[in-house]
Amino acid sequence: MRAALPLIALLATPAFAQDLDTLDASSLRPLAEAEGSVTVYAFTSRIARVEAAFEAAYPDIDMVTFDMSSTEQIARIRSEAEAGIAGADVVYISDAPVVLGDLLAAGHIAPYVPPRVAELVPEALKQPLLAQRLSTKVLMYNEESYPEGAPVDSLWDLTRPEWAGKVIMVDPLQRGDYLDLMTEIMLRDDEMAAAYATEFGEPLPESTQAGQRFIEDLFANDLVLVGSTDDVNAAIGAKGQEAAPIGFTSYSDRRDNEDEGWALQVANEVAPANGIVFPALLAVNPNSAHPAAARLAMDFMMGDDSDTGGPAFAPFYVAGDWATRTDIAPHPDAIPLAEFNGWTIDAAKTAEIRAEVADLILTLQ
Amino acid sequence: MMRSIPGAGLTCAVLSILIVLVAAPLATIAIDTFGSPAWAEVLNSRLSRNLFWKPLGTTLLLGTGVAFGCVLIGGFLAWLVTMTDVPFRRSIGFMATLPFMIPSFATALAWGTLFRNSRAGGSTGLLEGLGLGVPDWLAWGLVPTTLVLIAHYYALAFTVISASLSSVNGDLVEAAQMSGASRRRILFGIILPVVMPAMLAGGSLAFAGAVSNFAAPALLGLPVRMQTLSTRLFGMIEIGQTERGYILAFLLILVSALFLGAGNRILSGRRSFATITGKGTRNKPQALGAARIPLCALALAICFVTTVLPIVLLVSASFAPMSSALFSDWTLHFWVGAADPAFARGQAGVFRNPQLMTALWMTLGLGACVALTATVIGLLAAVALNGRRIPVLTELTAQLGFLPMLLPGIAFGAAYIALYGAPIGPFPALYGTPLLLGLALTAATLPFAVQTGRATVAQISGDVEEAARMTGAGFFRRLGAITLPLARRGMIAGGLLTFVSVIGDLAIVVLLYTPSTPVLSVLSYRYASDGFHQFANAVTILILVLSVAATLIARRTR
Repeated sequence: MRAALPLIALLATPAFAQDLDTLDASSLRPLAEAEGSVTVYAFTSRIARVEAAFEAAYPDIDMVTFDMSSTEQIARIRSEAEAGIAGADVVYISDAPVVLGDLLAAGHIAPYVPPRVAELVPEALKQPLLAQRLSTKVLMYNEESYPEGAPVDSLWDLTRPEWAGKVIMVDPLQRGDYLDLMTEIMLRDDEMAAAYATEFGEPLPESTQAGQRFIEDLFANDLVLVGSTDDVNAAIGAKGQEAAPIGFTSYSDRRDNEDEGWALQVANEVAPANGIVFPALLAVNPNSAHPAAARLAMDFMMGDDSDTGGPAFAPFYVAGDWATRTDIAPHPDAIPLAEFNGWTIDAAKTAEIRAEVADLILTLQ
Repeated sequence: MMRSIPGAGLTCAVLSILIVLVAAPLATIAIDTFGSPAWAEVLNSRLSRNLFWKPLGTTLLLGTGVAFGCVLIGGFLAWLVTMTDVPFRRSIGFMATLPFMIPSFATALAWGTLFRNSRAGGSTGLLEGLGLGVPDWLAWGLVPTTLVLIAHYYALAFTVISASLSSVNGDLVEAAQMSGASRRRILFGIILPVVMPAMLAGGSLAFAGAVSNFAAPALLGLPVRMQTLSTRLFGMIEIGQTERGYILAFLLILVSALFLGAGNRILSGRRSFATITGKGTRNKPQALGAARIPLCALALAICFVTTVLPIVLLVSASFAPMSSALFSDWTLHFWVGAADPAFARGQAGVFRNPQLMTALWMTLGLGACVALTATVIGLLAAVALNGRRIPVLTELTAQLGFLPMLLPGIAFGAAYIALYGAPIGPFPALYGTPLLLGLALTAATLPFAVQTGRATVAQISGDVEEAARMTGAGFFRRLGAITLPLARRGMIAGGLLTFVSVIGDLAIVVLLYTPSTPVLSVLSYRYASDGFHQFANAVTILILVLSVAATLIARRTR
């Protein structure tokens, strides 16, 4: 049953949908209006604001949005596909390694790049699925506790005794993003080895894999695991701490500092990198009953042609999230992507060894 | 054939309902993991120690500890409220049912507010604030998780045991008193044996609840790397290793079934629980004498710590702009405020969310329908299980009626979409209809209904039934004229538990809801997962208010 699905999906894709891929928004609009509605699964609550903006721009098309985590989306899309239901027309999702290796490979979702933005997005960010923006899981510290700047300048610092029990992270075996972070460290063996030599003044023994060694040392240094990104934020960010812990979380959560009374700041000057940058992906459902509306919605979500992407992109125009479109100006309060010291993940490579890394971490816990 | 084995028809009918509701969806995911190499990885590889054996040990310790603690505290309070002249009986009885309605994460957070130490950074709890050092074992790990889960689940044991105690025949106690039996003798000779089924039922529910609870071990266990099977299997599903996750779920079911099977055996081994004969007098309250005030203080203290404190924290967290300063700058914005781009990231108060009202009615409707359906099925199952044992079938019915309690909700949800999401023969696809949610929730809450039903029905004397049968009363006649009226108290208690757990459930509905079937718990969860905690807490309080209202109504109808 499961093996047959991609085949069915291929056969069911009408040539019609292929033609739709080449249409621009103005030609899609009448077709989409005839379809009447479009359903979007999104991994962020900001989708509600996109819905309002979309319905203002296209009053004759009803956008129905679902806000749920990427993991839920994956489970739901998979179950729906197996039950022969096309629940979502558009999928807005992170967790690229699973999305590409599982949903895309099984034909549950399909790529689409609106012709209008095709030239504006770098090749790597529209293959195999279009990325709408980039997000992060990086090293952050408490700028009230450490007014002189980040208290570490290398990831290897985190394995030193003075940071024992003071590094906080979400359990990588409970949240995919953090497993991706660990996987990236494994993939960057050479860089990790070089950073080790700089930090400790001597190279690692020949046969040692630097990435794996780092993860082992980090866990052995009494790494504190918690259940959610918000727990990390509160632990690191809470004001009034004398020697606050340090840890991995989202750069864009700094925007909550004022609301929550946090002092989160990103540690950008960290060798070899401060963490990972990963894409928020957009895809269409190949079995969608609203193929034109789905494409029109994706075109809309990529932002208009103004400097900031306009009302469609406004919910995502925040410090710590970067638009993939090169013509959208970087947010004035954020470090520009080019100067940001995070590794951009390679979903395909990550997917290859992700399970192995999970097993390694399992043995360390 | 039907006549040759009395009760076979009923057992078969109940069994087929259970097969449709429970066994079929489970079989769907069972087939997925059959023959998978993941079995060896889980059971016998370099990973198995951390993947399965250690979490298993922790889980069993936790489940057993919670079950004993719950029966002890729940039983103590139930005895105090139903059998003695302790002051504030009604208030204690009411407060003791509340903890189950307070989400376990709120209780876990309450623990943190008191005992949190600096291990996980951030702000520390009250005790460390006062300069008292809190050791890691008291702040994190198995001890606090067990205590928090006892505080959450003892209400289950209380509800089941007090329903059963209040139907203890006063004649028995009076007869014992008149013949000069001591108080202790009455307790151990009459009351304990009589409420044994209820204590076992309450303990089983607490055990099953504890081993499948996710929030408490995740919040309190992780910082010291404590894993239970439920946090492990959640994690496996989260990182895409669903096969391992499902296998862990199966093993969890298997181990728990072995544990609880032992309990069932004790229950079915004895046949002398029958005390409700329909003609007994109500029990006279036992005078506590000098112990009256200390016991009352103890009961009130338990209720305060497990009920008032978490609720105060939950309520203040819905008014306070900063989670680090719960009692300052209170505002109603999170409840009724209009959207303001400068505050709370532009999110309007929950009562301005157009989905709230739909979700409210949907939740109430689902809660009521599921409570009713599950209670009816539970009663029928209880009658069938209490009747003559039919080899294999009876045991199967008992197990299937309890299984859903042990299932991780998300796996259950996935199984339901897989099986009933698409059309089956002439039946249309249920996806996107409230019926799909209703079916899944009925299945998931059956254990409450079946367990409370069994505890009550086991007490009903077979003599009355027998007499009715002799006079030619049919099955439905006997059910309506004897079993239903006598089991009413227990059924209302069970229905209430079902209602409360349905309206608070998230794990199962999270995959099954659609915009046309929104429910409150999903709304709360969506707020929380986007970091809008105050809004999430406000919706959680709404759920709590509904639960409390239901409890008050249920008390009135008793």
